[in-house]
Amino acid sequence: MKMQSLSPDQTDTLQEIVNIAMGQAGDSLARVLDSFVKLSVPRIKLIEVANAGPGIIKLVNNDVLITAVRQSFYDDLSGEAITLFSAEGCRDLSDLMGYQTDLDPHTEREVLFDVSNILVGACLNGIAEQLNANLSFSAPSLIAENTTAGALLAPDSLPWDYALQVEVNFSLEQRNFISHLIIMMAEDAIESLQRSLDVFLETS
Amino acid sequence: MAIPILVVDDSAMSRKLVIKALPPEWDVEVHQAGNGQEALNTYKSSKAEVMLLDLTMPVMDGFEVLEALKRDGSKPFVIVISADVQPKAQERVKELGAIAFLKKPIKTDEIKQVLKEYGLLS
Repeated sequence: MKMQSLSPDQTDTLQEIVNIAMGQAGDSLARVLDSFVKLSVPRIKLIEVANAGPGIIKLVNNDVLITAVRQSFYDDLSGEAITLFSAEGCRDLSDLMGYQTDLDPHTEREVLFDVSNILVGACLNGIAEQLNANLSFSAPSLIAENTTAGALLAPDSLPWDYALQVEVNFSLEQRNFISHLIIMMAEDAIESLQRSLDVFLETS
Repeated sequence: MAIPILVVDDSAMSRKLVIKALPPEWDVEVHQAGNGQEALNTYKSSKAEVMLLDLTMPVMDGFEVLEALKRDGSKPFVIVISADVQPKAQERVKELGAIAFLKKPIKTDEIKQVLKEYGLLS
C-alpha cells in the first residue's frame, strides 16, 4: 500500500497541535514530580514500520539501557504510544515521587506505568480534543526492560507497513531523567487524521 | 502610525494563528522570526515595540531570548504565547521581564486585554 503523505499545511497543523498537547503533558508531569519539565520541539514523520527500530536507535544511544512501556489507543484515531525511559531516569522518577531509591521491580513498573499514563493520556487527549476526536486507551504494558534500543522494536511488532511517527522528549533540569514519547499512528488512521486536520485548517 | 511588532515561533502555522488572532483594530506592522536567534536579529532591525514570543523553539528558545533582551537592556513589551503551560514556566518568563503569559491556542480577547492593560491599545 502506497501511503499518501501529509501536505505541508497538514504537517504544520499537526506540529502545532502536538506542540499544544505536549505542553499539557509536560504540565501534568511537572505537577506530579513538582519539577520543571523541559520540552523539545516535537518531530513528526511518516515512516516505514520496518525502519522504526533504527529510528529509535538514533533517538537514544544504543548503549543506553532502556525500559519501554506501550499503550494502544483506538476509536477515531488509532495506534500505539511508546514511552521510553533510561535506567537512570527510572531512579530519578522513583526519587522524585518519594519512593526509596532501590525499588522492587514490581513498584518500579507501577511508577513507570503511572508516568506513561500521564504523558500518553495528556498528550493524546490534547491532540484528540483539538481535532474533536474520541479516543480510548489500553492499560500500559511493559514491552522491554533494561534492553538496548536496537532490540526494542522488531520489524514485525506492529501490523502496519507505514506509520506516522510523532516524537516528543521530556527532560528535567538537574536530573538525568529523560523520557521519549513515540506515537505511531496506524496507516488507516492517517486518512482520518488528514480529514480532521483539514477541518481544523478551515475553521482556525 | 503602525506599531512594529515581532511574532516569534518556529511553526509558520502557529505564527499565522497568532497574527490572525491579533485585534483587527490594532494598527501594526508585523515582522516574523522562526527562532530565538532570528528574533534577536529582527528585533534590532525592526525596532519592534511588542514581541509575541513562543518558548519551545530550536536554535534558541524563548527563555534565552528573554535573557538576552534583559542582558542588553532592551525593553520591548514581550507577551509570551506558549504551549508550555507549567506554572514554573509562567513564573520564569515574568521574572525575565515578560508582561504576560498567554496559553496556546491564543484568543483575541486575551491579547486585547493585555494590550489595553499596558496602554498599547485604546
